[in-house]
Amino acid sequence: MVNSSVAAKAYQADILAIDDTPENLQLLSQLLTERNYKVRSVTKGKTALRAAQAAPPDLILLDVNMPEMNGYEVCQQLKLDERTRDVPVIFISALGETLDKVKAFQVGGVDYVTKPFQVEEVLARIETHLQLRSLQRQLQQQNAQLQSEMRERQLAQEKFTKAFRASPSPITITSIPDCKFIEVNPSFLRLTGFSQEEIVGQRAADLQLGLTETSSAKGLAELSAAGVLHNREVELRTKSGEVRTLLLSVELIDIAGNACALTVANDITERKRLENEFISLVSHELRTPLNALIGSLDLLTTGRLGTLTEKGQHVITIAVNNAERLIRLVNDILDLERMRSGKLTLQKGSCNVTDLLTHARELLQSMADQASVTLLVESIDVRVEVDCDRILQLLTNLLSNAIKFSQPNSQVWLTAQQRDDHLYLQVKDQGRGIPADKLHLIFERFQQIDASDARQKGGTGLGLAICRQIVEQHGGRIWADSSMGQGSTFHVSLPLNPSPPP
Amino acid sequence: MPKCVLIVDDEEDIRSITKLGLEMATDWTILTACSGQEALEIATMQKPDTILLDMMMPEMDGRATLRCLKAAAATQEIPVIMVTAKAQPANLSSFEDLEVAAVLAKPFRPLKLAQEITAILGWV
Repeated sequence: MVNSSVAAKAYQADILAIDDTPENLQLLSQLLTERNYKVRSVTKGKTALRAAQAAPPDLILLDVNMPEMNGYEVCQQLKLDERTRDVPVIFISALGETLDKVKAFQVGGVDYVTKPFQVEEVLARIETHLQLRSLQRQLQQQNAQLQSEMRERQLAQEKFTKAFRASPSPITITSIPDCKFIEVNPSFLRLTGFSQEEIVGQRAADLQLGLTETSSAKGLAELSAAGVLHNREVELRTKSGEVRTLLLSVELIDIAGNACALTVANDITERKRLENEFISLVSHELRTPLNALIGSLDLLTTGRLGTLTEKGQHVITIAVNNAERLIRLVNDILDLERMRSGKLTLQKGSCNVTDLLTHARELLQSMADQASVTLLVESIDVRVEVDCDRILQLLTNLLSNAIKFSQPNSQVWLTAQQRDDHLYLQVKDQGRGIPADKLHLIFERFQQIDASDARQKGGTGLGLAICRQIVEQHGGRIWADSSMGQGSTFHVSLPLNPSPPP
Repeated sequence: MPKCVLIVDDEEDIRSITKLGLEMATDWTILTACSGQEALEIATMQKPDTILLDMMMPEMDGRATLRCLKAAAATQEIPVIMVTAKAQPANLSSFEDLEVAAVLAKPFRPLKLAQEITAILGWV
């Protein structure tokens, strides 16, 4: 068996035999055909070349002594032609001198058989060279394939190296868990102001870059668990000390068996600045006309600019209520946005819990009176380290919600307790309750249980979202439970002595 | 002798409404200024009994105007009531360092404003 492609044919191999003596040819041809070779026989060198070029055989048996063109010349011609260069040539000749044999190899023959020959010897040599040729072909193919694969790989690598280096987004590859920079791209260098030599091999902490979100143990644990982190906002300190805000996306990758973090950054400093500018612009531009509107309506309601009918009065009341609702909404949106963007920092101080609760009750007393709701306060004498204004805002938000959703002649409780190292606050009402499937939504923005609530109760849909922000900024927790028709309870847990922020 | 109040606000509509409200509720003389600069001039000349000063104004804001008023001998005794749209409970602490008689939050009811001013300054 020579190789699969040949074996698939009806014959073992295609052999071209060249000899000027027809008897010899006859003999060879018969011998080989019996052994299932396909044999083409020619008596002249020129014919042989044409036959070989038209359909290159697997092997050539070539007589040396021939008129016109001898075997050596035929072989030289074969070796000059691209199509036949690789076909193995075995010389068969009565010449038995060593010099003849040497000449045969010099012109490109692979073997030499002396006449008269032993049939078994000729067959063995043919088989050997066919096998060699087939192996050689295989090697050539494999070599070509390897080379093309290498080229592809090089091309791919070049593509990715170029993409990495030319990327407008800063990219880094860091080792895990020691967080050393292995590779950074020019965009990252431009962003940080450091040079390649200054960064590679260092950790973000060594360079005081900040970026704690991704280099902290917590960030690493999250990355290991999820394999990817998206759009984490972090602050980066450049070499010159400038602080930039980045959005990072991090992917866990494997480089030569080592876990690494591939981080793509997006500099959003400018975007954030515009956002903040926009917020303060909106804040002023929206509020000014609203203030003028409310003032004008107020003057109209006095009746001193002309008497209005009862319906006219009613219409003005509607206008006043809605203008006020709009201004509350603008204030709440701005408050929430400032808290979410971290622009509003806590002004912490030591507060007495009883004072806080009493103050909150005083602020809501008239609202409670109007709704015929009784406010009951139960406090403890303990001091707590919080932003008192914000906690007051939290309590008044929760209390006004409770009053809004209470029936006349019902009660609202505001209580404080100490539980271990936490201050535990509770606002409980006897109102209509919150459906169980809505409880998890109520701390999201604009998630009033009933769309008509906003109109009837004058709420903005942002109160509880603001509450959650305040509590979370204090490192605490807020949650609610409720049973339909029985009332709702809002729970807040705040650390009494919060640890300083890291 | 009726009281004299100077209203300082860059928004003409706010000035008109405030002036109208105070005039309807009292017999006070109401002056207006549309900028911190104008406020300083009028305050020096007219010596009002109080100044209602808007916090957010272009160029010279309420804070800067207040500093000038308190720095000049002619105006440093005039009580100033700061008016701001930002006076939500959580923002009030940032005014604690200012030498003001009070901070009023916008929106205010023009008619109630007279009562508030009277109460703050202890006018009878």
